[in-house]
Formats: sequence, structure tokens, C-alpha cells
Amino acid sequence: METLESHEDDFTTVVHELSARFPFVELLAERSRGAGARLNTQSVTALSRPTIQGAAIRAWSGERWVESASSRLDAASLRAAADGLGRARSDGRPTPGTSSTTVGRWATRSARPLADLETSTLIGLGRDAIRWAKEVPEIREMQFEGSWSEDDRLYVNSAGARASQRILRGVAVLVPIAFRDGRAESAYVVRGREGGQEVFDSVTEPTVRAAAEQAREMLGAGTPPAGDMNVILDPGACGVFAHESFGHGTEADQFVRNRSYLAPLLGTVLGPDEISIVDDGTAEGGWGSSFFDDEGNRTQKTVLVDHGKFVGALHDRVTAAAYGVRATGNTRRADFLSRPYVRMTNTYVAPGDWTKEELVEEARDGVLLERAMSGVEDPLGGQMQIRVHRGHRIEHGEVTGLVSSMALSGRVLDFLRAIRGVDQHADPTFEPGSCGKGSTDLLPVADGGSFVLSRAIVGPA
Amino acid sequence: MIANVAGQAADAVRPSGTWEVFGQRLRRFEVYLAGAQVEMTRGPLVVEGVGLRVIAPSDGHLTSGFQATTDLSPASLAATLESARRSAADSRSPGTVAHLPTGSGERSGEGVCDPALWSDPAGALDRYRAALLAPFEGLTDVRLSFGSIRATLAETSIVNSEGLDVRCGATHVDVEVAVQAFGGPEGRAPGEYWVNLVSRRLDPSPLKGQVETWARFARDVRRSERPPSGDVPVLFPPDALADILPAVVSSRLSGQARLRGLAPEIGAKLAAPDLRVLDDGARPWGHFTAPFDDEGTPASRRTLIEGGATTALIYDVLDGAAFDGSSTGNGHRGDSPVGWDWRSFLGRPVSSTSTVVVAPGTGGTLDELAERAGDGLLVVQLGFPIPDAVTTVFGGELRLGYRIRGGKIAGPVRGGTVGGPGLAAPGQPSLLANVTGIGSHAELAGELDAPPLLVGSFTVAGA
Repeated sequence: METLESHEDDFTTVVHELSARFPFVELLAERSRGAGARLNTQSVTALSRPTIQGAAIRAWSGERWVESASSRLDAASLRAAADGLGRARSDGRPTPGTSSTTVGRWATRSARPLADLETSTLIGLGRDAIRWAKEVPEIREMQFEGSWSEDDRLYVNSAGARASQRILRGVAVLVPIAFRDGRAESAYVVRGREGGQEVFDSVTEPTVRAAAEQAREMLGAGTPPAGDMNVILDPGACGVFAHESFGHGTEADQFVRNRSYLAPLLGTVLGPDEISIVDDGTAEGGWGSSFFDDEGNRTQKTVLVDHGKFVGALHDRVTAAAYGVRATGNTRRADFLSRPYVRMTNTYVAPGDWTKEELVEEARDGVLLERAMSGVEDPLGGQMQIRVHRGHRIEHGEVTGLVSSMALSGRVLDFLRAIRGVDQHADPTFEPGSCGKGSTDLLPVADGGSFVLSRAIVGPA
Repeated sequence: MIANVAGQAADAVRPSGTWEVFGQRLRRFEVYLAGAQVEMTRGPLVVEGVGLRVIAPSDGHLTSGFQATTDLSPASLAATLESARRSAADSRSPGTVAHLPTGSGERSGEGVCDPALWSDPAGALDRYRAALLAPFEGLTDVRLSFGSIRATLAETSIVNSEGLDVRCGATHVDVEVAVQAFGGPEGRAPGEYWVNLVSRRLDPSPLKGQVETWARFARDVRRSERPPSGDVPVLFPPDALADILPAVVSSRLSGQARLRGLAPEIGAKLAAPDLRVLDDGARPWGHFTAPFDDEGTPASRRTLIEGGATTALIYDVLDGAAFDGSSTGNGHRGDSPVGWDWRSFLGRPVSSTSTVVVAPGTGGTLDELAERAGDGLLVVQLGFPIPDAVTTVFGGELRLGYRIRGGKIAGPVRGGTVGGPGLAAPGQPSLLANVTGIGSHAELAGELDAPPLLVGSFTVAGA
């Protein structure tokens, strides 16, 4: 079977040849694979993640980026794919930004490598999980999915960069479903990280039973309140705020397109001293971590909001040049067939100095939003949407009745200004997810945070 | 001549037993716009790949294994087959016989392939780009700030152990446009309307009218107020329903839902009495329209809800086998809750809808339905309202809507949330149960062909 390394000389040769036609050329080759298992009470499905391989070639034409890609990695196929790129204009503009010169090889390290994990082990774990869940009354259905992926990327450019990385990620998802009188309700638990088999150690009998009990409790959940009120986001929902609501507005490709409400606010105070927001592509075990990005730049930790002040944005080489700063290692492609964009990695709200109990007491009345399911960005309008699977009412400074799924809406800047406290919960637990730019180009990201108290509109959803 | 990637792969590995190879040769062309300028061009992006599935009976149930690859070397294909066999050994699903389809030949269907795009993809994208930008040229307060036009030319082939050997060519297009309104009083924030068109052809003819509508929406975003709170009549046009109804129908009226105990009994009255809902695999220019589905079963049309009651479910081969039946032509690949993956060969088939059709009613136009609503809300766009697969509850932030006052469509509203169950148990309220008005004219919007629906009471959280 082919490997990326077996074609490394082809990649270098093609980049060298193309550099006679273009002032800058880069090639990103990718090969990914993986395995897993999906079980429910009726069926067992062993998952073999497709073996995908191919290469994207990007060149600067003097006025724009041009790209092609091929799923065949030999030099002849790559040359054929590059034929359609044409030739750079002799009177064109110079290549924007600084080209990577990164050289090195990196790989996810673990004492228990995911690639050694037998599918039968995951199937056994899934069967246990289903059995544990079904011991809880009214749980009649349960879905378990455990899987791992290995993503190899090799980057070569005409400026001398030559870097490779192997990233391994594992994820477990539990969805117990409870039934009563024609009503079905579920719980949703996901654990995922870059690393080794240890991610599956979190699938234990207590974890599964707790999830099943949550699904059962949802059968009695009330209708959520509707309207403008005090809200406390749990760490997962807080992470979605950090990523979807705020983070997308800090992607500087939206700055240069004049599509970010945050662009003119860089350097200003947006919220209270309590709030700090960070993107960290180097976070150990982060679902969105990597060693270098898809322009060959090393990933890094970038502080976006420092104690209420908007201090940083995320840059690729083009936007970095436009703003006179360095690229932040946030240029990412979903895969070799997708274009590069400025993207987040692991994004989180840093801990504050309140306790959860103090936040509930401070809120007095409102709602606690738990178990985030999704969020939507609005980089120009600055609106926010966070959907959660469940929540609790807050009445007279106490957490009271369970309520069903909700959506939160409001203006990001209003939400930031209205923050009254952030939980001191240390070390954010990153929740794995996938993020698109527009409606496509999904790639792995993580987010996290602490309980945070603010104000927004909430309604059933 | 459509490339027979599947046939070549099958010849290379010569599988035994019951098997299926789904092959594709894909060419993709993309243009990205920043304002009126081209930010990036991409293409051709050329991918060849196969998805290989083996199925076998074992001790009163079925085993099946799937693996896909873009590496079509003989060694890789042999490894892919072996991987599928190993997966099958670890898998089991209900049923004893999987009825794979038969037939052979190159097939075509109405509204499957855009001939102009197929013959000259780069030229077709250029013409569409010019037609998209032209209406913006005369506008002083609205611009296209960012956009993309992406076209896929798919040569699909399927072969199986029963002798199936079919091929077809198809085109897919998606267009995303950020339409920005700006200017006016000092300090007033710009407004944006986000367009996401999913289609099978690059048809520039409606663009002039479409851009006028998008520009009006972008301007209205800037002057919008918060919606009111309460349970009010809500009017959903087809574009707003397109993100909701196909997912609701797939998650409840499918063989997979039946296996999980989530599907209603046939005859259960779940929806409003006037409602008729179908699945149509042959709707011209529908997103999943093809002469055959992704398992090779011929496309068909099936009524799922009639007179408000469930009449049928949809199945792929394996879900059909679980109930001693056959596929209804609803085995689709590359489908996910958050969007279609143009590289269909990467995914195993799952049962999902083709084009969901809601039969037109007698409610007239959008304005006439608004008149019937009295006071309520017209939804133009919700932010990511994808329904929950278990509860079918959907919803999200109102990105743009209009108040309905005194039976007339009034001022724009934005913010707040709209949501609730899409389809619930008999006797329980839901979007489909609470329909009180069905428009007289249907429109194709992505995976949905429907008229506007007036829902008598739905929860809105706003000011």
C-alpha cells in the first residue's frame, strides 16, 4: 500500500517544477484511516473509516490563489492535476505574507496507541454500555459509537518547508433513549481527544448509568421558559459561546472581507474583567490540536480576549500581512479536497473566581442551559445561537425543575457586557465537535469553559 | 461514456458471496468571491474512489461490512475488501435475506444532469459568476461580500453480485452568498443575508430576481426589531421548511426509525388531516434525484402521510431485510445531519428521504395565508434549526422574519427563537399536526418540494 513518505520525492519534484511557473507553490498531501464500532439494541456495525489519500496543490498566480487536487499521488497524476493552474502573470503582485520554512516530523504519542485498538474491544465495550443502560427502567434503546482516526499530513513548499505529522483522535458517543406513553427522550454524552486508547476509559458503568438516568429524567422535563432572562451556561454551552458566538468573529479572513463586526473593536474592552477567551492549537489532548497548520506554520496559543479586552485575532498568511502581524497557525483544510480557511482549534473561556453556587444565587431567577448540541455563527451581524439538550429553571437563587431542549439567542456584545461572573472551575474540559465554514468544510475543533452568568433570550428548540 | 470505476474495481478483486461496489469518478470546480473579485479558483479536483460492501447471512441474522478507498491500486483494493470482510465478521443486523437490485446499462433521468455544466464546467461557472455579480453592479447600498460557487460532476457506477451493472452521470451545485447592506446613517451597523442554494444545475436565469429579494432581506435585517414572545400562528415558506421537514421525515418515517422504536404505526394520525407527504426519488432537479439510488434500486415515488395518517415508511436494502422486505429506493450515501457530502462513495448507504414532497393545498399564496393567520410571524430564515433525531424538536434563532399584523405581512423581525417538535405522537402538538393552511403552489427548495405551510400555533421567544 502507498504511504505519503513513499511519494515524498514526487511531491518535492512537482513543487520544484511548478516553482518555475509560479512565485510560490505549496503541496499538502493527506492520508487518513480509522476504525470503530456502532451498536444499538438491534444491530452491531463495525466501522472502517475510509482510507482517503490525495494532495492539494496551491500556487500564487500573481493576483489570486489557484488550486487543484488529485487522489492519485504519483508525479504524473499531480502534474496532470496542476496543468489547469496555468502560469503566474509576469506583472502580478508578489505572494502575500510570509512563507513557512518549517521542517520536522511530529506524531501523536501514547503508551496505548489507538491504532492498536481491536474493533472487537470496542464492540465489547459497546455491548457492556447497552447492557448497563438497559438496566435503567424505561431505557429501551441505546446507541454506542466508539471510533478512532489517524490523519497523516505532509507539507512541502517552494520556500523550503518540509513537515509531516500524524494525528490520532478517539471518540466515544453514548445516546440512551427512554420511552413512556409514546414520548421518546434521549441523553447525549460524548468524550473525545487527541491521544490514545485512554479516551475509552471514560465509558464506565457509572457514566453510562448516569446518562441513562438523564434520558429517563427527560421524560418528565417541563417546557422551557421563553423570553429575555438571566442565563447560566454550563461549561459545554460556554465553550460553544467561545467558539461559535465569539470565535468566528476573530477569524481575520472575515476582517479582510469586511465581514466581522469585531474587526473595528480590536484593542477595545468588550466585557468585564472576568472574561478571557483563548484559542490553543497546542492544547494537550485537544480534539482540534495539531503540530502545524495547513500553511506549514506551527500551531500556537492565541489569547483573543484578555480580562475583557479584545487583544487578538486568528490569522493566515494573507491576513497577517494585511495587519502587519505573524500568522497564528490557524490555517486549516478539512481535507485535501477542501480549501484552506482561517479556523479555530481548541477555543475556551478561561476560569474566573466564582463558584457555581454563587452564580446561581446571583442570578436569582432564570435558566441554566446544559448539554450544548450546536451553535451558529454570525460574524457580521454579531447575533448568537446556542442550542442545548436540557436545562434547569433557576428560581429564588436555587436550581429547580428540569426543562427540555432550548435555544439561546441574543447579541454577542450584549451577552459579553452582561457577564456577571465566571466559575473558577480550573482546566476547561474540551468537548469535541466539528465546525464548518459556511455549510461545508467540517473539521475537528474543541471548545470548553466554565459556568458563566449573563443575560439572553431563551426559547424552546 | 460514464467511467465504470465500480466495475474495474470489482474486476480487480473478484469478490465472492453477496457484495456490492459503488464507484465514482468526481470532478469538482470551485470559485470563491470576495466582493466582485475572484478570491480563489479551484479545480479540477479529481477524485476516484469506491465503497465496497459485503453481506452474508449468519445464524438467523445478516452480517455486513463496508470499506471505502481512494487508492485504487490492486493491493489497496484487496486490502479494502479484506477490511470490509473483517467488519462484516464483527457486525450483525436483523434479517435473513438482503434483496440486492438487478439491472444493467447506462441510465439517465429527467433533471439529473445539467448538460451545459457537464460539457464545459469552467465556462458554466464563469457565466454563472457573471450573472450573479451583474445585478449588484447598480446597487449603492448592497454588495456581495463573500461567496462561493461549487459544482460537482459525478460519474457513478454500481455493480453487485446479483448482476447489477448500472452507471449514470449527474451534476450537483451549491452556491453560498453573503449579501451585505451598508451605508446610511453614521454608525449604523451593516446587515447580512446569507444565501445557501443547493441545486442540480447552474441556472443563471432566476438570478436577477433572486438578488433583488436577497438585497431586500439584507436591508430588512438592518431595520429589524425583535419578534414578540408567545404561541402564535407561524407561516413557514418552502425555503424555511427545507432545513426541517426532510430531516424530520427521515428520522421518524424510515426503517431505521422503526428498528429503534421511533417510527409510528401505519395508520397513526400524526399530522393535520389535509396533509399529504410523499417521497419522490424522481422529482426533476431534486437533490437526490437519480435513475437509481445509491444501492442501484430504481427511483420511485411513495406516499408517506395521507389524510394526516402514516401510510408507509422508507427503507434501504438492509432496513428492508430487517422486516422481510425490499428497499424502497431510499439507500443514500454521503448524507449527514449537517449537509450532503459530495464524495458519496465514502459512506455506507443509510435509509433517508430523496425529495420530500408536500402536496399543495387550497390556501392560496403567501399573502393569503398571512391573511388567514391574522397576527403572527412569517419565518424567512432560522439559524441551523436541524431537528433532534429522537424528539424531532427543531428550532433556532430567527435570522430574519416578518410580523404578520391584521392579516398583512408587516415589518421585519430578527433575534429570539422559534422552535418545537416537527412530528410528535398522535394527539400531541407539532409542526405537522398544527398545520392549518397549505399553500396552493409548491416550490423546490433543496431536498423539499412544498408549498408554504401555516402552523396555527407555535412557540416564539422574543422581546
